[in-house]
Amino acid sequence: MAKARDIDGLRASMPFAEAAAATVAVRAEELFEHSAGVLDTSDIERVHDMRVASRRLRAVLEIYAPCFPKAQFTPLLREVKDLADALGERRDPDVLLDRLATLEAVLPKANTPGIEAFAAPIREEQERGNATLAAALEHAERTNLAGRLALLAASAVELEEDDVPEAAPEPAEPAAAPSGPNGASAA
Amino acid sequence: MKARKVKGLDPEGTLADNAERIVRVRLDELQSFIPRALDPDEVTALHDMRIAAKRLRYVLEVTAEPCFGPYAETALKRTKELQDLLGEIHDCDVQLPRIMGRMEELRAADARTARMRAPAKADDLDPKYATRTSSARAWRGLETMAIYLKARRGLLFERFLELWTRLERDGFRARLTFAASERVGGDGAVTPPSQDGNATRDGAAIASPAQSR
Repeated sequence: MAKARDIDGLRASMPFAEAAAATVAVRAEELFEHSAGVLDTSDIERVHDMRVASRRLRAVLEIYAPCFPKAQFTPLLREVKDLADALGERRDPDVLLDRLATLEAVLPKANTPGIEAFAAPIREEQERGNATLAAALEHAERTNLAGRLALLAASAVELEEDDVPEAAPEPAEPAAAPSGPNGASAA
Repeated sequence: MKARKVKGLDPEGTLADNAERIVRVRLDELQSFIPRALDPDEVTALHDMRIAAKRLRYVLEVTAEPCFGPYAETALKRTKELQDLLGEIHDCDVQLPRIMGRMEELRAADARTARMRAPAKADDLDPKYATRTSSARAWRGLETMAIYLKARRGLLFERFLELWTRLERDGFRARLTFAASERVGGDGAVTPPSQDGNATRDGAAIASPAQSR
């Protein structure tokens, strides 16, 4: 499994929104870095790495949700979830088939027909999962999901800068959070 | 399982203060499945606890090292262990019914074959028609897999109980709560937590680079 890349410059005292921008940008890049060759069922680690990257991206989106403009954030989170689901549809049968192959290798030959009887419908699932994943990747490419995620990441700091008036240490009203009033929650 | 809401997150507040709030909620969420998940038959509680562990793991993955005290990184490792173990248990819980279902399909198909072998007007079914059916050899492998998964699930559940007992004995929850209230300064030094254990309200526990020099 690919190790998550470090987020340069992440510090305890930095503003949450700044951390959101830096983290989401890196995790989104990581997702697409792992997209090469994922439809190749002979190397199941590729889809695994991309799935893990999609989970990490989804997790940081949820953690930093209050830092993003809701109208932009909500549909993108949905799209990332859909892509993660499509990766899961391919990954689940991959794992099962891999385990069955391991079992088949260690069990007496008399068990092979049973293992094959179980594996056959799972191979069909794997094919269907691959078709679903191909469509999801095509959609991500066509709609420039990578670019839109980069814009979303950047919007966390842009909004923060826009929302905090210069030389106004104590504004009359609290600065509006990008996704709603301060104190709103989502993580 | 829907994640619990984290109240009071503030985009303008510090990463560490917001992360501490999230960690506290995710820890509570994880703990909420105890004692239910200690019952091996509570499949749903075990599954939901795995999701809760995953959520805690991901927030720690991003924040443990840059924000919190040293135990947070240990807690990240333990949380991953817990998530992995619960994941393996979940896989058994998903696969076993599928294997049983496949066996049932094959059994039903073989029963139909046996019935068709008998003369149309037979008064009763001769047992010989039930032998050497097309899937007879497949059952053995399926039975072996079912036994293996059931036994493996039992063993993994024992490991889970041991791991959870160890985490409780080591004060996992209290130590992570404490570590999440400690702050890493600009030079990597860790400062003690604020008196209330959560600096989110006033930022008192934040070690500024100047303070930690």
